[in-house]
Amino acid sequence: MREKSTTIYLGPQHPGITGNMMVKLQLEGDTIVKAQTHVGYLHRAFEKLIERRNWMQTTTILCRFCVPEPDPPEAAFALAVEQIEGREVPERGKYLRSLVLELARIQSFLLWYAGQSGSAGLYTVGQWSVGDRNYVLDLFEELTGGRIYHMYIWPGGVRRDIPVGFKDKVLRTMDYIEKRIDDYDRMIFDSAIFQKRAQGVGIINKEKAIEWGVVGAPLRGCGIAHDVRKDNPYDAYDKLDFQMGVFEGGDVWARAKVRQFEIRQSISMVRQIIQNLPAGDFLNKMPNPMKWTIPAGSAYGKVESVRGEFGFHVVSDGSDKPRRVHARGPAYVHGVSLLEDILVGENLADVSFIMNSLGVCPPEIER
Amino acid sequence: MKTSFIKEELLFQQLATAFENVVIEIVRKETVFVYASKEFVLPILLYAKEKLGYNSFSHLSCVDWIENDEFELVYIIWSPETKINLFVKTRIDRQNPTMENTDMIWRQINTYQREIREMFGIEFPGFVGEKEFILEDWEDVPPMRRDFDTLEYVNDTFFEREGREDKQDVRERIAKRSGEEIPDFAKKYSRE
Repeated sequence: MREKSTTIYLGPQHPGITGNMMVKLQLEGDTIVKAQTHVGYLHRAFEKLIERRNWMQTTTILCRFCVPEPDPPEAAFALAVEQIEGREVPERGKYLRSLVLELARIQSFLLWYAGQSGSAGLYTVGQWSVGDRNYVLDLFEELTGGRIYHMYIWPGGVRRDIPVGFKDKVLRTMDYIEKRIDDYDRMIFDSAIFQKRAQGVGIINKEKAIEWGVVGAPLRGCGIAHDVRKDNPYDAYDKLDFQMGVFEGGDVWARAKVRQFEIRQSISMVRQIIQNLPAGDFLNKMPNPMKWTIPAGSAYGKVESVRGEFGFHVVSDGSDKPRRVHARGPAYVHGVSLLEDILVGENLADVSFIMNSLGVCPPEIER
Repeated sequence: MKTSFIKEELLFQQLATAFENVVIEIVRKETVFVYASKEFVLPILLYAKEKLGYNSFSHLSCVDWIENDEFELVYIIWSPETKINLFVKTRIDRQNPTMENTDMIWRQINTYQREIREMFGIEFPGFVGEKEFILEDWEDVPPMRRDFDTLEYVNDTFFEREGREDKQDVRERIAKRSGEEIPDFAKKYSRE
């Protein structure tokens, strides 16, 4: 007997979807035969807003491009503006930027632990890791004044220096997180449920990864060693000792292994930064921020976020407002046509699981 | 100064030899711009990908230069060997905006073209992709064009919630309640 195909709409509100977006699925039994993504529920016209704001006001909008990872957009924009303007960043500013970017990676990894394990039905780790993430957010609050949105990285450096006693707090928090991720790993990677759910699911092969422009952990999970921090080092990354997590397989399991490896690398980098933090200025001050103009020109600034390369194409016409700021987030590549392609043949229950492993972030797709 | 840019100079030579009618500029370290007319974009992208190893596509962006009556399309590609960001820039007529479809070279261009078609109204003949991407039932001027008036759109589309027609300023209400005065610098943002 031939099975009748069914169409279901997953989202825009769904606990397994990583934001407000919809995936229209055509199913035969519970196997997906066609998937169609639909975004547009979170369009806030940031890029249009930026055209009406001055350069300084822009920095308050950028961090809202992606809620789980607000720092990489700030850094990518700052790099692009510095390229156009030729503004040098003091050494201490570079180190502090890398510190914030690595702490941001750690908090984002902890959020990923929750999403990835929760979508496999392993809810305990999610409760733990989101709770532990608050200790990293406490550090952000002390350093920048904000828990989620920091607006800390400015073109020319960072907004303020570290407070007294901050280094010790960072090191203590890192010791705690490092101890805790051993527990998470036992709960997730040693779990038969997770192994069975993750292995051989959501496969992206090498050729497809290059053709589709896959970045970040999904690319390194295909066995391709590419990381913006290594390939085009920015801030203090050329002075830090770290390795890329490269695993073969291209499935959800390989992508999880990459992240399992890289959270430890991030912790190690945070320690290196704290130990080697140079003295001196942290900001190469711009003139009056409300009258600040950038010479005409364009640049592409890119950084490595947890989900992959995050870039901004910034165009200046020489005025006090950006002419164009166009974002390229990893979700833009992973979350639309690639997702439609790799969901075909997968099981309905694995949709959220695969989306989490690709790092699909709808606010970044439609901005 | 250019002499220190060895790999950028090499790329300059390779592109200048292969294409005569393009302008190449070494802008800064690891950034090279190529300005070309629109019929050369596809050959340049293909040549860069197949012969020069620029196999990673980073970005496709569009800029509205309304004062020149042109749109600028910017293709940014990257090579894992040279680590150079190569910008291929072209300008197209704003009144009849069409551009060659390039999503057969890198499939992710599909998403970018969908967005640019919707946000700037640029057509890519031969391009297959869902018509709607972010917007729904949009019939106005494509919203990322510079001549789209956001204030006019907001005034035409949205309305004050019932009971809020007087557009009372929240700060004025607070000031009235607390007895404090609104400082002078903040008065210019007042709705009155």
